[in-house]
Amino acid sequence: MKRVYRIIASAVLIGTLLCGGGVLSAADVYDYDGVHSSVSFKARHLDISWIHGRFNEVSGKFSLDREEPSKSTFSLTIQADSVDTANEARDKHLRQPDYFDTKQYPTIEFQSTSTKAIDGGYEVTGDFTMHGTTKQITLVLMGGKEHVFKDVKRVAFSTELSLKRSDFGFDPKAIGPIGDKALILIDCEGVRK
Amino acid sequence: MPEPLLYAQAMGVAAITSSVFVFVMIAVRRSVITSWLNAVCVVGLGLGLVTGYAWLGYHRSFPPTSGLDRLLMIVVPVTLFVELIATSTPISNAVSWLLRIVVAIAIPRILLHKSVYLNVTDDWTAWQANAMIAVSGILLVIVWGALSCVTQRSGGISIAFALCLAIQCAGTTVMLAGYIKGGAAAIPLAATVFGVSAASRVSTRYLRKDCEDRLPNSFLAPAIIALGVVGLFGLLFVGRFFGEISTMSALTILFAPVLCCVSEAPQIRNQKPWVVALLRVVLVAIPLTIVLVAAKREFDREMLPLLGDGIVSPQSQGCRSLRVRNWEESSQRELMSSVCVLDDATDTSRQRTRQVSRKAQEPR
Repeated sequence: MKRVYRIIASAVLIGTLLCGGGVLSAADVYDYDGVHSSVSFKARHLDISWIHGRFNEVSGKFSLDREEPSKSTFSLTIQADSVDTANEARDKHLRQPDYFDTKQYPTIEFQSTSTKAIDGGYEVTGDFTMHGTTKQITLVLMGGKEHVFKDVKRVAFSTELSLKRSDFGFDPKAIGPIGDKALILIDCEGVRK
Repeated sequence: MPEPLLYAQAMGVAAITSSVFVFVMIAVRRSVITSWLNAVCVVGLGLGLVTGYAWLGYHRSFPPTSGLDRLLMIVVPVTLFVELIATSTPISNAVSWLLRIVVAIAIPRILLHKSVYLNVTDDWTAWQANAMIAVSGILLVIVWGALSCVTQRSGGISIAFALCLAIQCAGTTVMLAGYIKGGAAAIPLAATVFGVSAASRVSTRYLRKDCEDRLPNSFLAPAIIALGVVGLFGLLFVGRFFGEISTMSALTILFAPVLCCVSEAPQIRNQKPWVVALLRVVLVAIPLTIVLVAAKREFDREMLPLLGDGIVSPQSQGCRSLRVRNWEESSQRELMSSVCVLDDATDTSRQRTRQVSRKAQEPR
């Protein structure tokens, strides 16, 4: 009889863990809201001015664990083909192999590997893949404020990072009038699933 | 940005290295036979390409990840290796052509490796991708076969020269469409093909008169045609699928050298060799010129404004329009002058404002 009780108790425990795992987890999973988010960039032109552009097709997901921030994860996928600098000819040029080579490397991706809470946000370290080259970078995500709008929970972060195109396998000869350094600005609003 | 001086140097280095090697090898050899000459040409072509691209400072990734890298690091060496086997070993003509066909069919797939064209989507099916690869391979086999055929029948350096013209045209078109590195890749290729073909032809005809008996009339090594055709195809394929050149331009440039076959017409074939050669080059040059003119017009319309040769019309007070030409060359000077114009205009506007306000303040 004892054995039967033990089996029933184990089954109940396993069932609770399996079915209620999601409930027990403190992480909220958010989808990247393309309508209220943007990934833009700017690069130096002739070292006297800045050219601004943005990527129109971005998707992503992040799970936010307020109690244990190290369990939070962030991922972002940018369609390189959606580059938009408000000049169609320049966009075509940027899609070519001298720059993004979008037919060969269609996406720019970020996948977090570790997260820690800092004052006013999170410090997220992860793998950033652009132009077929993956480098580890650290993003300082500021924000994290939540807002419930029409029964949908939203949270937002913003960050800026500076990258050198030459670090990501861009042809050094294509770095001339357009500077090596590019600033990427990410303003991301997530909607909870 | 394109660097004409560097391109000219790379062209010279590739042509000189390859031609000197072929010259020396032919000069020191006791007897020159076709298989040996072809092997020398293969090595000369490889040497010319290596030095030319090195001079150009080509930045290549290993393992090759881009279409152009795969062309230069896989396709070209494999083609040269196949030519070495096909013409320097005792295998039948059918087997050597089977090898070439296998290479030709494999090239489009190699160049498109890991690209979006091999990803199946709602708009792009696996069937379409395979059909495109097969058609491209067949086109390459047709051009390769036609030029090899005309080379075997009547030979002549004019075929190699026509190929060089097509390669340079392909490079320029790719460059004008915005893919500078892809276009620049044509320069050492064309120079090497020209250097090796000129050196082998001149040395076997004038340096070693004994070769005349052993080599077929106007012999042109098959390796030269192979590298020329494969290189031309590769550049156009990369330019079409990774760059922005149109399908029509790519096909016109690819098939332009096939016009050399017109010289096989009975009325033309019996003409003097220089007439036949001139006719071949002129025939090939006509479609290439048309493509180049179209590419230049497209460049002027789309790319030139990006280089600063456009109109900048700031809608600022006191400055109706300001045309800034050749921004790249004289940006600083013109920028300073435009700033002065703006400053002058602003000063004038301020003075007028002051005058108006003074008048308004004056007691009537």
